[in-house]
Amino acid sequence: MRLPRIPTIVRIAALAMLLVLCSNLALLAFIHMRTHNDRLTPLRQQMVADARALSYVYSSGGEPKLTAAVHDMLSVDGNRMAIGIFDRQWAPQAGNLVLPVDLPADRPGAFLITTIHLKDGQQGEGALIISDLGRRGWLVSGRLFGEQITLQRAIERSLALSLFLSVLFGIVCALILTHFVRRRVAQIGLAVDRFGHGDLALRAPVEGSGDVFDRLAVRINAMLDRIVTLMTELRMLTDSLAHDLRSPVARLRARIEHVMAAGVNADSEAALDGILSEADALMRILTTVLEIGRYEALSSRDQFNWIDAGELLDELADLYGPLIDEAGMSLTVTRNGPLLPIFGHRQLLAQALSNLIDNAITYGGAGGAIALFAEPNEDGQCIGVADRGPGIAPELIGHALSRFGRLDEARQPTGAGLGLTLVQAIAHLHNGKLELGDARPGLRAALRMPMSSGPMRPARLPPARDPKSADLAMDGAAGR
Amino acid sequence: MAWKILIVEDDIEAASYMVQGLRQEGHVVDVAHDGREGLFHASSGLFDAIILDRMMPGMEGLSVLRALRAAGTTTPVLILSALATVDERIMGLEVGADDYLVKPFAFGELVARISALMRRQRENIGTIDTRIVVGDLEIDCLKRTVQRRNQPIDLQPREYKLLEFLARNAGRVVTRTMLIERVWDYHFDPGTNVVDVHISRLRRKIDAGFEIPLLSTVRGAGYRLSAGA
Repeated sequence: MRLPRIPTIVRIAALAMLLVLCSNLALLAFIHMRTHNDRLTPLRQQMVADARALSYVYSSGGEPKLTAAVHDMLSVDGNRMAIGIFDRQWAPQAGNLVLPVDLPADRPGAFLITTIHLKDGQQGEGALIISDLGRRGWLVSGRLFGEQITLQRAIERSLALSLFLSVLFGIVCALILTHFVRRRVAQIGLAVDRFGHGDLALRAPVEGSGDVFDRLAVRINAMLDRIVTLMTELRMLTDSLAHDLRSPVARLRARIEHVMAAGVNADSEAALDGILSEADALMRILTTVLEIGRYEALSSRDQFNWIDAGELLDELADLYGPLIDEAGMSLTVTRNGPLLPIFGHRQLLAQALSNLIDNAITYGGAGGAIALFAEPNEDGQCIGVADRGPGIAPELIGHALSRFGRLDEARQPTGAGLGLTLVQAIAHLHNGKLELGDARPGLRAALRMPMSSGPMRPARLPPARDPKSADLAMDGAAGR
Repeated sequence: MAWKILIVEDDIEAASYMVQGLRQEGHVVDVAHDGREGLFHASSGLFDAIILDRMMPGMEGLSVLRALRAAGTTTPVLILSALATVDERIMGLEVGADDYLVKPFAFGELVARISALMRRQRENIGTIDTRIVVGDLEIDCLKRTVQRRNQPIDLQPREYKLLEFLARNAGRVVTRTMLIERVWDYHFDPGTNVVDVHISRLRRKIDAGFEIPLLSTVRGAGYRLSAGA
């Protein structure tokens, strides 16, 4: 049977607690060993010897000898010794001991530690032994503890208290330790998370102490640096690729235009026109591939702004409405429920939706209806396009989303099968995803956008911009 | 009307192609083959428009543009770049370009865009016309009403915007991408010919029933609104 895996943080806490407890216990045990027994044992032997001697005196010399012996012993060591002679009914006969209340009268020979009261008013902790004197009565003899033994007893009591405290401190210590560990790990984790969300300038904090967390942070930072380098290189590579591919095509285009301007016959002109549009199509594919790469790399988030999903759909409906109308289809815009502002890239979201609308017209046109929809869901909102066409079989959805993934060569005369991949990349740029589902009947393509967390969410959106002066509208000021 | 244009472009063949074309149209053209030289010439403020490449030796196009704008030069700048993604275009406009054209381009598109830049530049200096007349078509830009031969024409808001943009550039070719950018504020290529449908609807409203059509399609380039179309 496998034990359940214990979280590392719990293991660290338990270990810390155990260490504190062990070191304290070792100390306590040492103190206990050093202080306990080494004084009490000789004292006990001494007391037993005293009691035997007195009993012997009594048995050999009778009561007068005993009383004399007690008197002698007390005069020699009166401050420390406690001796009492009692009759069978425990009435005091001689000696300096006041009968202790808690004396176990029925246990002759018992050794007990208790508070001893002497007749001169002195009192203190000490040990007593009861000896049976037979018919005459009882002999109770003992000694008051000296300072050292009193101290030892106090220490032993303190040891019990410190045992309790050390458990308590062990727990506190474990909590503090785990807090520190958790905090440092969380700092590093937060940096990595935010990097993952596109904040490429962020690094894990290094406190300079050179500890294991610092070393971990340094290593992670080295890895993040490497990722940034690779991304920059990739970007330079694709930019150069774009440049190096575009420039010859631009020259090609220029030459064709030049030839056409010089005047050619109708057949040649049609052919050259065809070449021009092929060149343009080639460039469109190249641009789309580069855009997919860029948005998957979470570039251009600095151009994000607060946008209204409903407005976005209305604008697209305005652009595509006549085209869909002319094609004999109907277009509707539906808002299901209250919509939150989206912190995103208006141009790219519009581009994504425009691709979805294009797809709906091309493949779902037979259904006769296209719907743009926006609706809130549990973790944000969905915006998308639904048609009433044949849809996509669930097992083909993965293929439809893959780069250059065409479902059916015959159905798609133009385009390289990059449209949905681009839409998906734009969704990823917004921390969202593209979901293809069944519109019963038809295809339902939705951009599932999580709750936006941008700088200063506006209570409401600023008024719509005038497109005529909107060239520079991505200035990041909207929403403030 | 002749313009004085500066082309900053490191690709010698592309530059000479543009120079040739623009000179044929009667404009005065200067060329700089790298960023620093381009910035030096552009700073003189003697040009009506600057065509600026982005990836060049010496100094990157956007850096040239930033330096120009920081120095207070307001000459209209059209960026002509192989960097074609939507976010690059937006970045170019944010830095202070007045227009962004992607390579490879049709020469007609370049001319149409520079022409529109020149028109906007004039509007920026003078006052914007509140009444535009193209042939017998009259547009009241304040009331947003249109009439032809004194017959009012009822237009949807977007149709009005489209017509106003065409009218402000009357006599000049306006391309589909220019319309997408200026009328709808989208900087991506919608692919399908969405604009064509809008134009044909507008044409039905303003030209149907009149013997002289004002709105014409320029094959392979775009559209033109003019009195003698």
